[in-house]
Amino acid sequence: MTTHYRNLQLVLRGAADPPFNWREFIHENILHTPWLALWLLALTYIAARVAWRFLVDAPVTTAIILLAWALSLGATALGNILHRHTPATFWLARNLYSSITNALVTLLLVLLLVAGARGFIDWAVVRASFSTDPDVADATLARWETPGANWGAIIDNFRNLMVFRFPREETWRIWVTLAWLAALLIPTPYVYGRAAFRRSPVRRVLTWLWLLTPVVSYLLLVGLSGNAVVPRLNPDIDWGGLLLTVIIAVVGIMASFPLGVLLALGRRSRLSGLPAWLIWGAAAVLTVYFLISSTVPALGQTAGVAGKALALWPLLILLAAWLFQRAFRGNVVALLSTIYIEVVRGVPLITILFMSIIIFPIFLPPGMEVLGTWRVLAAVTLFAAAYLAENIRGGLQAIPKGQYEAADALGLSTPRKYRLIILPQALRAVIPAIVGQFIGLFKDTTLVAIVALTELLGVANLISAQPDWLGVHREPYVFIALIYFIGNFFMASYSRRLERRLGVGER
Amino acid sequence: MTDLAPKTTRRAAETPFWRDARVLGVLAQAVFLAVVVAAAAWIGSNASQNMLRLGGSQFLCRDGTTSFRCAFDFLRLDAQFAISESLIPYDPSDSYARALAVGALNTAKVAVLGIVLATVLGTVTGIARLSSNWLISTVARWYVDLIRNTPLLVQLFFLFFGVIVLFPPIRAALQPFGLPIYLSQRGINLPRPVVMPSFGTWLIFLVAGVGLAAVAWFLLGRREVRTGQAINRPLWAALAFAVVAVGGWFVAAAGGANNQGFLVSDSAGISVLDDLATTTAVRLGLVDLDELPGALASGALTEDEVEQGTLIFCGVKDAPAEANLTAQLRRAGVPFAFERFPGPNEAIGGYVDGDCEALVAPRAVLMAASIPASTIVPVPETPLRFSLPRIEGLNFVGGIKLSPNFAAILIGLVLYTGAFIAEIVRAGIQSVPRGQSEAARALGLSEAQRLRLVVLPQALRVIIPPLTSQYLNLTKNSSLAIAVGFPDLWSVAYTTLNQSGRALQVFLLVMATYLAFSLIISFFLNWYNRRIALVER
Repeated sequence: MTTHYRNLQLVLRGAADPPFNWREFIHENILHTPWLALWLLALTYIAARVAWRFLVDAPVTTAIILLAWALSLGATALGNILHRHTPATFWLARNLYSSITNALVTLLLVLLLVAGARGFIDWAVVRASFSTDPDVADATLARWETPGANWGAIIDNFRNLMVFRFPREETWRIWVTLAWLAALLIPTPYVYGRAAFRRSPVRRVLTWLWLLTPVVSYLLLVGLSGNAVVPRLNPDIDWGGLLLTVIIAVVGIMASFPLGVLLALGRRSRLSGLPAWLIWGAAAVLTVYFLISSTVPALGQTAGVAGKALALWPLLILLAAWLFQRAFRGNVVALLSTIYIEVVRGVPLITILFMSIIIFPIFLPPGMEVLGTWRVLAAVTLFAAAYLAENIRGGLQAIPKGQYEAADALGLSTPRKYRLIILPQALRAVIPAIVGQFIGLFKDTTLVAIVALTELLGVANLISAQPDWLGVHREPYVFIALIYFIGNFFMASYSRRLERRLGVGER
Repeated sequence: MTDLAPKTTRRAAETPFWRDARVLGVLAQAVFLAVVVAAAAWIGSNASQNMLRLGGSQFLCRDGTTSFRCAFDFLRLDAQFAISESLIPYDPSDSYARALAVGALNTAKVAVLGIVLATVLGTVTGIARLSSNWLISTVARWYVDLIRNTPLLVQLFFLFFGVIVLFPPIRAALQPFGLPIYLSQRGINLPRPVVMPSFGTWLIFLVAGVGLAAVAWFLLGRREVRTGQAINRPLWAALAFAVVAVGGWFVAAAGGANNQGFLVSDSAGISVLDDLATTTAVRLGLVDLDELPGALASGALTEDEVEQGTLIFCGVKDAPAEANLTAQLRRAGVPFAFERFPGPNEAIGGYVDGDCEALVAPRAVLMAASIPASTIVPVPETPLRFSLPRIEGLNFVGGIKLSPNFAAILIGLVLYTGAFIAEIVRAGIQSVPRGQSEAARALGLSEAQRLRLVVLPQALRVIIPPLTSQYLNLTKNSSLAIAVGFPDLWSVAYTTLNQSGRALQVFLLVMATYLAFSLIISFFLNWYNRRIALVER
């Protein structure tokens, strides 16, 4: 305030040194660039129209905004003219009012944002009903011309959204699992981070407990048949809601990790390939066999050029053999890994999910039944493994060749080389990418709703079908969007922190 | 002298057979291959056993036998299910193959439109993220963070079940900002440009305009070099093009003045277009049609009375003649009604039968119809007319109609992928060192030149590879259209699968098609990537 007061005094006294020339300002900014002047004119017109609309609809708020804008703009302009700013006007001059265009656009945006925020708060809070009794909720909402949100549907269905149909008397098992995970997660950064704990028994115990976690969680969440303490649950029926989402995401990432590492190593495999004579020989034999058995009869049957051309398909075997030699040097491991990765990355996840539900049973021995949940978990694992393999391959490529050569010079065998030197560096480099992968997987679990497993999105869909809460469409989606947003936001911030920590001083 | 070297040294230096890296490598691969082949054989035997138990209908041939060769013969059978939207004509008696082709074309439509719109949105947002205005960059950041952190399927469901399905019914359709865009339960209706016969003439002028602009560009460039003064070449070239284009518009319109018209009987007393306005005003009991909006507002005339009083036109459905006439009458403020027929002969028949009072068609058709005692009133034509959506009865006519399902999947995909592209563009632009911009400014380049010549080429190299994967993600995410009821490839394939029971074959076809889409997109983008790559040693 003092600066503004002094600025005003200077202006009124005429004592400010005149580095600011009005004529020059107008000449520079308007006459010299007629296009800019036209643009500003158009922008001013639009801003005036929008401001007038808002003034008619919501006079008080708009008047306050206009007043605040005019005052802050005036203070900033004064500061600019006299080259004397307070910290506030300096920030405004740099960020909001740095040019005439910016000043007008700021006004427009503030008006629109405030209108949007008011609309949302109106819907979500002012006109909303928080009662879990459908009749009371209907009465509350009927008072408004455009009814607000019906949060009672969410509050009433909170347990459904979290664990859906998990048996009530077994809910303690979920709490025990959460307690176990929390108990292990809290000491982990300290025990694994500090050098003091290296080789200490505490660290070894913690590692063993972590390794036991899959077994413990299986026992608690699935149980044993015939057991009195942890009776067997049916994942297809009993798992649902956020519980199922987290299980799919966590199992997906954990199980896809070893598979992803194997695929990445396989794709970069440098094993000497099958000898050329073997490949060409096998290709020749197969081509001749199929030419005789299928092409010759087909050429006799079909008419038309297209049909005859299609009948010559065995020649593609020779083409495949040549490509195999050329691109993979005859290395079968690299070939199969690449085919797997490229095929799985090229098709949508939903096709793989449906494939697992419909086709996997055909590939299993007749009579063997696998639960839908296990099939979906397998599909998610196979899908995530392909993407993870590409991330890890990036990490492997980032390691300088000198590391490989030094390991070879030291006489390390290949397994030792990878275990002690290559993989630790590669995995450390791709941890941020893996966290990003986990975020993507967490979001992709929603696709499972289309395959008839009720995770969080599936439950949200069911809410609007309940007779008590018919027609409540938006609120469930807004609520689960909030859950996903909070979860992903924190994971993304953690990943950014991790990136910064790993990038600094480690290399 | 080599013959003095002892022979034993060479044999001792050779590694034994079982430790030779090459042999071990081949052995490892042979074992790996054996394991893979054994697993495949096990799966294959399970599959064939399960197929046999299903009755072997999966591989039924046309002649009744069962063979692996007939795996895809089911594609010739009748599909027997309807598809709600299609780019090519389709009805349920077409084959499964045609149904799948319809699905693939729908996916291509969503993919192409989605990629174009998402790139535009993403680029604008990415640049907004770097704006000096704190509000703009913060709003862009919130949009990107919100969209990237929520699952696409949740956004799609919210868009479809929470927004589009809840749009008002047709009669109360929303019009954002007063534009002729209608949002209703039936979807989104947008105006559509319609090409009239005189468009060909205008096209010649447009090409000439481009040529003139190119000549101006070249000559002004020479002048710049000669005099050393900067000349605003884009401005002059655009001006040259605009002059020729606008002049060509009027010339083409004048040339096509006699192309369109409508036929009325002599007794109606209409010989020029203005007579139509007068006649309609008289029929409605007004002095002048300018009074119509006032009369409607004050209640002196009801909408039904207006409908009764307007002239009814016969015309061919979706023909340019209709768009031309409606645009002209809209400008004159004359209300009208339309009877639509499938073809010109039916329209003429309808007029003769008395279904309507006037016949709209190209002048040549009207003259050829040679209906006695009738006048042909000429209607002016312009090369392009805009067909605006209009409510007639229970439907919108005219303009482009986006079904609610298509609108949901397109908008959802564009918003989602646009957020990811925004981050990629931002990272690309920020990857260009600041020194480059400072050097450009020091050299006296304008802001536009700095962006075009210095920043963008370097930024593009960083942007294109992740952009490729985003385009591929968009194409794959379009398979979620099944959740909002749009018949894309996956949705049609799933119906085919359930209907025909051939799960394996349908899956193979679908996966092959998606792989083909992915390959095409990556091929084009890799080619572009190579073109803009740095030329290095």
